[in-house]
Amino acid sequence: MMLFEYEAKEIFRKHGINVPKSVIVQSPTEVGKALQSLSLPVAIKAQVLVGGRERAGGIKFANSLEEASEKIEELMRSKIEGKVVNKILVEEKVDAKHEYYLGITTDQLSGKPIVMVSLEGGVDIEDIAKEKPETIIYKKVSLSRGFFQFEARNMCQQLGLSRTLLQKVSDILYKLYRVFDYYDAVTSEINPLTVTKEEEVYAVDAKLEIDDNSIFRHPDIDLRLDERFEDEIEKEAIKNRLSYVKLDGNIGVIGSGAGLTMATVDLIEAFGGKPANFLETGGGITDELMEKAVEIVLKDRRLKALLINLYGGINPMVDAAKGIVKAYKKLKPNIPIRVKLIGNQQEEAWSILETAGILVVKEIQTEVAVKKLISLLGEQ
Amino acid sequence: MGILADEKTRIIVQGITGRVGVAQTKLMLDYGSKIVAGVSPGKGGETVHGVPVYDTVKAAASEHPADASILFVPAPFVKDAAVEAIESNIGLLVIITENVPTHDAIYIRDQAEEAGVRVIGPTTPGIICPAKTKIGIMPANIFRKGVIGIVSRSGTLLYEIAGNLTLSGMGQSTCLGIGADPVVGTDLKTILRLFEEDKQTKVVVIVGEIGGVQEEEAAGFIRDKMKKPVIAYIAGRSAPPGKRMGHAGAIIIGERGTAQSKIENLRRAGVKIANKPSDITYLIKPFSRIINRRK
Repeated sequence: MMLFEYEAKEIFRKHGINVPKSVIVQSPTEVGKALQSLSLPVAIKAQVLVGGRERAGGIKFANSLEEASEKIEELMRSKIEGKVVNKILVEEKVDAKHEYYLGITTDQLSGKPIVMVSLEGGVDIEDIAKEKPETIIYKKVSLSRGFFQFEARNMCQQLGLSRTLLQKVSDILYKLYRVFDYYDAVTSEINPLTVTKEEEVYAVDAKLEIDDNSIFRHPDIDLRLDERFEDEIEKEAIKNRLSYVKLDGNIGVIGSGAGLTMATVDLIEAFGGKPANFLETGGGITDELMEKAVEIVLKDRRLKALLINLYGGINPMVDAAKGIVKAYKKLKPNIPIRVKLIGNQQEEAWSILETAGILVVKEIQTEVAVKKLISLLGEQ
Repeated sequence: MGILADEKTRIIVQGITGRVGVAQTKLMLDYGSKIVAGVSPGKGGETVHGVPVYDTVKAAASEHPADASILFVPAPFVKDAAVEAIESNIGLLVIITENVPTHDAIYIRDQAEEAGVRVIGPTTPGIICPAKTKIGIMPANIFRKGVIGIVSRSGTLLYEIAGNLTLSGMGQSTCLGIGADPVVGTDLKTILRLFEEDKQTKVVVIVGEIGGVQEEEAAGFIRDKMKKPVIAYIAGRSAPPGKRMGHAGAIIIGERGTAQSKIENLRRAGVKIANKPSDITYLIKPFSRIINRRK
């Protein structure tokens, strides 16, 4: 789960990382009061989960109260890459002499956290890695051993920083690792870490993504589902721990297992159809979950057909069939539906579905089911 | 034998008294897997389908020497259970559990590497050596004994591919999922090395998917080190960037992790690419001479 900038900064601040003074604003009327505690000029930053926010028009600057209110009002009305702006972070602008990059992420191949620092901040780390890879100092870390302050100092020393900056930057790098470790982060990043001409350092942007599977260990993190997910269907799916991605076609897809579901979506495209979504149940199917999954996908008004593709390995197919039937009887969808279901309990599950009048594909190849459904759509 | 396990492999089931543990233990026993004991804290002294249950791995393993452990433990407790098994000198861990915190997976991998223990998963369907043993959750009826090794990042897609092969009369040596998480215990490249060394395996099938760089890494190994024919199918060609497609690891970030990058790298390494699951059968046909050769 990606945190909003203001949430990440709050956490960074609590862990002793210097961030610019700021106030969160939710409506233009709050601006006057907010600005009383800040000195001008200010940065006005839309709190949306979008990469390249400044380029997308989500960050503005103001030199006066009037200008600030104007720009806040403007941002509140606009959408940034299609995202509604609910909150705006108004923060004292920091004059940059230098911009550094500090980040920690997981290196999937070695299975280790990797700590990175570069003097070439202010642009995406991917771009630094592509254009000036030699400027990135990095270190892979053993999670059980941890990352030490002296290691942060060693890394920063390679950058040739002044003594004051060496102390300040390595201290922040170390604290950023502490945040990464404590919050089960996928990524914790400061880009840019801004250095003023007085050699003050500030985390001017903050990125913190927490592993979805670890959220249960962090009750202090507010999920704010309404702010994080605008699409009602996506929100409903998340609440039910279903994995849903909206696509732009008209054939609904439900599958057990992400790989199988991705392959199903690919096959629909390969045979000339257009998938409307990707919905994956995972390995915890119950009849309630299956009923919910069918309901969620059928909420999509663009749907012209639905394909359900399940394997009975860990998932109980009889329960899955019962769930599908429940949703079917409740919603009486007026579109063709095919269920392909193979594995443990397949015969019993088939009979439950067929008794309810739902057509079952009994071949093991998903391609057979996909072709059948697409040719049906063609006839309509 | 197949890779990693065979009919002699003695198995402990951790989390044996849970709903899934009970059901899957029965299915593994039915298949002929040699389950010697189960572990469930607080349930020591019970039996599950005739398998004795212990409170700790240490107690189970001291009564019943074991080579492998399969974990059905809920995600928050996987780290504890895995380290318990590693420190009890179990040589192979198969972590079925989904939604294990990535930092826990990293920790487990660290400890396992230090102890020389092989970990498969998390989020794996496990391992099946058809007609020999099943340390996993896959429906047994779609697998058949043969000479094709399948390694997959996904679970149910492994079933689909194996089912396609079985239907065409092509049996398998070992089929396994390495797990769909960003960090897994054993990577694709390592499994390919085991298949290359394995006498029973004549052809290898990779079932990959978007996200990460495991396929790209594996391509280098195939090009430099593998003599056996390799065929690959990659899922997620139509996946939009920036969206997590079910698996925590299945996400395209910027230009990284696309199906196209994986396909190109593998193709350049001499791998035959299947555009659809059914193409795999037809891509294997030219190797029938290798498949039918004795030894």
